[in-house]
Amino acid sequence: MSDAKISSGLSRRMFMTASVSAAAAMPLATSPTRAAQPASAKPAQPRDLSAVSMRINKQSYNLALDNRTSLLDALRDHVGLTGTKKGCDHGQCGACTVLVDGKRVLSCLSFAVMNQGREITTVEGLASAGGELHPVQQAFVDHDAFQCGYCTPGQIMSAIGCINEGRAGSEDDIREYMSGNLCRCAAYPNIVAAIVQARDEIRRA
Amino acid sequence: MNQAAPAPRENQGDPVVRIDARLKVTGQASYPADIATANVAYGALATSSIARGRVSALHLQDARAVPGVLDIVTYGDMDKTDTPKFGNTGASSIGPLHDKTIFHDGQIIALVVAETFEAAEEAAMLIRADYDDEQPSASFDSKGTSTEAAAGKNPMLKEDAKAGDFDAAWAAAAVKVDERYSTPTQHHNPIELFSTTAMWQGDQLTIHEPSQNVTGWKMELARQLKLDPANVRIISPYIGGAFGSKGPMTARTAIVAVAARRIGRPVRCVVSRMQAFGAQTYRAETRHRIRIGAGKDGRITAFGHEGWEVTSRPDPYVVGGTSATARMYNYGSVLTHVALVHADRNTPGYMRSPPETPYVYALENAMDEMAVALGMDPVEFRRVNEPVKEPIGGRPFSSRSLIKCYDQASEAFGWSKRDPEAGSMRDGDWLVGMGCATAIYPTAAAPCAARVRLTADGEVRVQCGSHEIGTGVRTVAGQMAAERLGVGMEKVSVEMGDSALPPAPVSGGSISTASVCSAVMMACDAVRAKLFAAAAGKDGPLAGSGNAKLDMADGKIVTETGKSAKLADVFKAMQVGAIEEYAEFAPKGSSPEALNKLYAGQPEFHGGESDKDSVKYAFGAEFVEVRINSRTREIRVPRIVGAFAAGRIMNTRTARSQLMGGMIWGIGQALHEATEIDRRAARYVNRDLQDYLVPVNADIKAVDVILVPEVDHEVNPAGVKGLGELGNVGTAAAVASAVYHATGKRIRDLPIRIEHLIV
Amino acid sequence: MRPFVYERPTSVSAAVAMASHAGAGHVPPTAADTQFIAGGTNLADYMKLGVGRPDRLLDLNTLAEPALRKIRTSDDAIRFGALVRMGEAADNDDVRRRCPLLADSLKLAASGQLRNMATLGGNVLQRTRCEYFRETSWPCNKREPGSGCAAMEGVNRQHAVLGTSDSCIATYHGDFAQALIALDATVDIEGRRGKRTLAFAKLHRLPGETPNIETDLAADEIITAIEVPLRPWSGRSRYLKIRDRESYAFALASAAVALDMEGQTVRSVRIGLGGVATVPWRAVAAEDALQGKVLDEAAAQKAADAAFADARPREHNAFKIPLGKRTLVRALLETRDMKV
Repeated sequence: MSDAKISSGLSRRMFMTASVSAAAAMPLATSPTRAAQPASAKPAQPRDLSAVSMRINKQSYNLALDNRTSLLDALRDHVGLTGTKKGCDHGQCGACTVLVDGKRVLSCLSFAVMNQGREITTVEGLASAGGELHPVQQAFVDHDAFQCGYCTPGQIMSAIGCINEGRAGSEDDIREYMSGNLCRCAAYPNIVAAIVQARDEIRRA
Repeated sequence: MNQAAPAPRENQGDPVVRIDARLKVTGQASYPADIATANVAYGALATSSIARGRVSALHLQDARAVPGVLDIVTYGDMDKTDTPKFGNTGASSIGPLHDKTIFHDGQIIALVVAETFEAAEEAAMLIRADYDDEQPSASFDSKGTSTEAAAGKNPMLKEDAKAGDFDAAWAAAAVKVDERYSTPTQHHNPIELFSTTAMWQGDQLTIHEPSQNVTGWKMELARQLKLDPANVRIISPYIGGAFGSKGPMTARTAIVAVAARRIGRPVRCVVSRMQAFGAQTYRAETRHRIRIGAGKDGRITAFGHEGWEVTSRPDPYVVGGTSATARMYNYGSVLTHVALVHADRNTPGYMRSPPETPYVYALENAMDEMAVALGMDPVEFRRVNEPVKEPIGGRPFSSRSLIKCYDQASEAFGWSKRDPEAGSMRDGDWLVGMGCATAIYPTAAAPCAARVRLTADGEVRVQCGSHEIGTGVRTVAGQMAAERLGVGMEKVSVEMGDSALPPAPVSGGSISTASVCSAVMMACDAVRAKLFAAAAGKDGPLAGSGNAKLDMADGKIVTETGKSAKLADVFKAMQVGAIEEYAEFAPKGSSPEALNKLYAGQPEFHGGESDKDSVKYAFGAEFVEVRINSRTREIRVPRIVGAFAAGRIMNTRTARSQLMGGMIWGIGQALHEATEIDRRAARYVNRDLQDYLVPVNADIKAVDVILVPEVDHEVNPAGVKGLGELGNVGTAAAVASAVYHATGKRIRDLPIRIEHLIV
Repeated sequence: MRPFVYERPTSVSAAVAMASHAGAGHVPPTAADTQFIAGGTNLADYMKLGVGRPDRLLDLNTLAEPALRKIRTSDDAIRFGALVRMGEAADNDDVRRRCPLLADSLKLAASGQLRNMATLGGNVLQRTRCEYFRETSWPCNKREPGSGCAAMEGVNRQHAVLGTSDSCIATYHGDFAQALIALDATVDIEGRRGKRTLAFAKLHRLPGETPNIETDLAADEIITAIEVPLRPWSGRSRYLKIRDRESYAFALASAAVALDMEGQTVRSVRIGLGGVATVPWRAVAAEDALQGKVLDEAAAQKAADAAFADARPREHNAFKIPLGKRTLVRALLETRDMKV
């Protein structure tokens, strides 16, 4: 069990607000229509913390969060998964891209509390337990599809989304469908080449 | 092999995969705001909404009432610290909380510290200031600015370059171009947000902040906080893009440190994208007047370059790119002048690629205009004016491969297929234009220290306080060590980005690879010397090999006659487990204090125009095709080719990526980037990535980088010229020339947008 | 951001009841204490900026009605549930085949990630991206009624030239809405007073003297569906968007065009214009100018002139008039030449 590994890099706040349970140990409410707030006689107050349960990289988390906390900040500050990056916090750069129920979204514009019962995948959830890289990760290495590396987790998650959505057919398609991920080092041509390689590999598999 | 890994040509190193590639694709590379920090409190800035005046009252009660707020640092709370200094290390002399004077929009007026990010942000937005405001001066042409000559105000520009009798040559010139150009305000906008995390252990202060200059910051922060520099540590192992923005330390760092001391807890402050426009440096807008006089044969006889730059009220920040433009071609006579215009703005700073980007843009656009005026091919025009010696001091170039670059790039581009007549090329509904321009960047190096340790099992650790901003310096430093010590890259680890490591200069001005690799090479050579002495010594495994030349390869020490000894055996003979060497590199011409100044965070730069024996530059040639819709006039760049010669290329993969990124930056500068200023209020308006446009993936199609072989033993021991800045120089002029070629319309003010072409 | 209560209604009627019992009163939905959130891409952004200031958010993603998430195509209409995501609608084969304009207007908007998040109902209600509206320290009549308009004499390159008033020149930046207004779409709305269907053209209000009132919706009302009639012009339709970047940028000018042709003659035409107006913009005068005419360069130019006859430029956005005209001409001719 990876509790120890996960909690090793966490702030004290995380221990106050989060509990981690083993992957299959605890069934969680996954119906999006079921409210997760604890039954309470008092009407909810704006500053109350909300209980939020999510599966993140195949592991279940029960968090107590400010309603204002974005999914991005929940991942970074409460779960300790800092691979997902904050580049603008306003949905303008794509650095915070994660998969929610398999679809790429911007975690900065999503209140964490709205992700109750969802399945979240971040860049930390891609490589196999044995350390083998996901084909998109390997292709990014092969094609030098980054320089500073800051936008890279978002690019990789977006690329996976792009391939899954069937939008990586031509190079022009890839450019268009990857345009929500800014790369200030401007590795764009290498990113496109990497996605072509990964797409073909995923198709073959 | 793929495009990202070009086969090395002469004097070029292997396209080794980045040493930190795996960490970067798995999310394990920890940028400063990622560092897990126990018990951290969150900071949020409140900033001014006026550009000039004084804060008359600050209303903090609403902010203090927000549950979770721990402290608010504001006026008076920094009194026991020294004010920031403007210079090599400090971004500005403005100490925002030392003085209630407001010098610019977005100036820090308070830092809120709270238990959570949400509470800190909420409270910061509740802070209200009353101002005694005054009418600010926004920029050029605003009332109330003051103008002064730039030369001598800043080490960036010691004097205005001049040569010969410009006035006479200009008066006599048969063909003349006399035009004005401008470049807009631009912000670096690295995707990583600016942040500071400060933590104290007793008197010891640790700062996690993305920095291009950890040693300089340590010294400057210690000065401001009146601490022993030994008690200050700046840690910045990965930097999420910098482009100059993380070179100068800003006022925030000390403020966050003070906040952490006050509450007795670590404090992390991540600056919002919007606030960064006022809280950090930027490239100020520039204006240029270029005069080129030439004979009908195309030989330039007179070159005049006047530049105007905006800076803040208190600080004389100077770009001063005339030093390079004055030495670009064989001009005959040269007259230059740079003026600074002080306005109510934050202090600018260097931004990829100072100073050449704005100044060479103006020069190269004018060169294209002159080629048109002469009826000459623009490449031929440059060929005709290729100098043997630089025109200002008459010194030779340490190496200059510009014409080779033009030859190789023009062939790859297919320049010969261009119809020289403007407006003549078309593809369906699209007007086609082709243009070219020269890239130039001074080759400099600075003192640098490095420590290298080799163990008996062949593990190598390189330590150097340089900075991995995405250039690949960690990789090439590792390559240098692997090569010198004869081990595979998988055996090498490289530590950077920590002021506790051997000091390195600021990672700016394209000096890092040359400086760092030279120091690493020296340290490796010292390790080699020890090993060789032991191996060939009388008890060594290669005893009796006499004066045979030794080398290291495949984890062994080898002789030129083919004998070899395993590293482990040499270490055994030496009865040590590891050899560690510390080296200090100082470039040729360094002063006796050069190394002391390195440790003081004030490294001397050598090279470029400053050496006595020669001038040192890297060159390139860029060719651009643009397509402009004949009706709606949007401009697209389907392809761009650049050929660059920059001495020894350590790694063709990282070199190509940097040059490619630079060229794409140039496309952005030509067509997209501009910070808009509300001139009434001297405030930035488009302070985010929604409205400050940088190229997206769809804007960039074919980018072809040619690494032209070049050998230059004179520049530095590693033979390396920097190239991080080079790719970005010239691109915008090439785009402007291509736009002219497509439309017959010369756009002299950047960025070139639809509105310039629509009417 | 201000703190807020977060609740998850499970049906439209419950959501409406929860919104109205909070006493929504007569304030516009954007100023109400209780507000709805779905994709959140616009609202979360504005809440972070301090422009959106709800005390309570009702999450529409937990509404149970399946129709809210469905695209239904019949012979004479396409009906979009309001919670359908932009990306899903853009990628829907039926939509693309029957009415390319709808699919293109969605595909050319925002980014892949945003299109996966943003709902169609929320998309049409997105608020302006005017820089002066976004930053709370500037005066702005839309954000703070009566405070003035900083854009009028400020940096107004991206601002509107059509539908402006002395109070506001902020552009409506959406793309999908231009298609909807051109295609005579309707919206189904449910609120405290029951259900109603509104012509899409009546959903948005010109700024006039009250730019803070952006739509006809009451604070307790929810858009539940958008219906687009399929007509002879639906198949020959196109969205042309001109912007500074090739992707992921707002329109400087755009044109939504649908044409019913008889040979070279226009039997019927529908035109929406984006990037140039304060609200989704139907270019009726341009449509009238083309009716029954042979669609050639000259006729298209005449229509474009008619479309911008009342345009009022400011200091930095005058180029939008020629650009808008050229965009419309190009869109008309390209739509005429579509192989259908």
